[in-house]
Amino acid sequence: MLKDKQETMPVIDCDVHNQFRGGGDLLPYLDEPWRSQAARFGVPSAGAPYASPVGNKRKDADPPSGLPVGSDPAFMLEHYVNPFNVEYALLCSDSIIGISGFADPDYAAAICRAYNDYVIAEWFPVSSKFKGYMCVAMQDPAQAVREIERIAPHPDIVAVCVIGGSRMPYGDRYFHPIYEACQRHQLPLLIHPGAEGGGIFNPPTAVGYVSNYLQWHTCLPQTYMAHLVSLVCEGVFEKYPEFKVVLCEGGVTWLPPLLWRLDKNFKALRSSAPWLKRMPSEYVRDHCFMTTQPIEEPNNLKHLDMMFEMFDAENMLLFSSDYPHWDFDDPTQILRRLPEEKKRKIFSENARKLFRL
Amino acid sequence: MAVYPVARTEEIPEGTFKIVQIEGRSIGVYNVKGEYYAINNYCPHQGAELCKGPVCGTTLESQVYEFIYGRDREILRCPWHGWEFDIKTGKSLFSDKVRARSYPVIEEDGQIGIVIGQPKQREGTEGC
Repeated sequence: MLKDKQETMPVIDCDVHNQFRGGGDLLPYLDEPWRSQAARFGVPSAGAPYASPVGNKRKDADPPSGLPVGSDPAFMLEHYVNPFNVEYALLCSDSIIGISGFADPDYAAAICRAYNDYVIAEWFPVSSKFKGYMCVAMQDPAQAVREIERIAPHPDIVAVCVIGGSRMPYGDRYFHPIYEACQRHQLPLLIHPGAEGGGIFNPPTAVGYVSNYLQWHTCLPQTYMAHLVSLVCEGVFEKYPEFKVVLCEGGVTWLPPLLWRLDKNFKALRSSAPWLKRMPSEYVRDHCFMTTQPIEEPNNLKHLDMMFEMFDAENMLLFSSDYPHWDFDDPTQILRRLPEEKKRKIFSENARKLFRL
Repeated sequence: MAVYPVARTEEIPEGTFKIVQIEGRSIGVYNVKGEYYAINNYCPHQGAELCKGPVCGTTLESQVYEFIYGRDREILRCPWHGWEFDIKTGKSLFSDKVRARSYPVIEEDGQIGIVIGQPKQREGTEGC
């Protein structure tokens, strides 16, 4: 089903997943002693503790080359990027996204270094449309900072990616050096879900482990709510006034009621966070972004329009497709009701500005 | 109403399907346990090519914490978001109101024909 390019608005897709052809892809970029270890025993990971009944991938995106889904850059361009008028596909590693859940901080940091060198060497040169996110391991902020210093200057790196799963809320002072480094290099922090509850992470919901992928995936916004409240109230955006955060693939419509609650509480409990100079929701509006996919689909689509009116959606949302994953959003099919100008901001202009593209 | 011949029965053995084009429509013709069914190759949700999805079974209505697998090879799952459709009716498994368009099939003398233009056909609903 080819899309008519003429009718398609230009898109900057903020969540496109590049995959390894196999764990061996990383080996040439991995330092010793990890390389020999990974060569013999495989690249470790700490994935989600659930299995989806429909699998993780779209069933119609296998490259004809026989390579795994998402691992063939030429096919990604041919199958998705070019026909859908994608100006930039911002690559977000799928293969190592959960590495912050692996208990060994040094091995995890080595894998991130290898991935960053790999994506720079093997994906970005294929097309000027490919740019993307570097990965850091959150177990050891000092090593994460060194990695940001090393990689951030590369022109195709536009953000620092971490996973939603964590051992503590992201506003915690433990992580602040990472945010300072992000600010120094004008790179937003992008939080992407994928392994909540896996490895050394806390359980994926506030009440523990749900039974299956259906419940896990539905509850992902819980994690984002906790990270967001923490980032604001711990004063991260006062300490680092140029620091920006992207909440990727965590849902959108939960935001307004959470901010109402936070602002209301702040009026009474402000003394707990005397460093905040404005209402909490104002920090969120100025520092935070959300990606659209998987966009909520209420039976009455007017209800989604109404939710968009309850926060600064036109300036805070960034289009994402999640290609080639199972819950892919087609840029020609979603948010069709939005007025042209708002849509243009969400589909490309906001990302262009944020990522300085 | 018109009957469009689309294939000989031997072209679509049990458990297989064929995609045919009729008047600009792409339609999947499925052989489910010896019977033929035709379903529009278009998912009513976001417009994926439905017939690129796997044919499978599903879990039947059951008691809490009971899993009963059934309807093997009768369900077509969208290749994108995993929505399940009954190949025999086009109906989604989660709502009577959501369905992929299906067409009556006539089998005569080893020839499979699809009937287009019957008034009882129902359009798929719009997803978003």
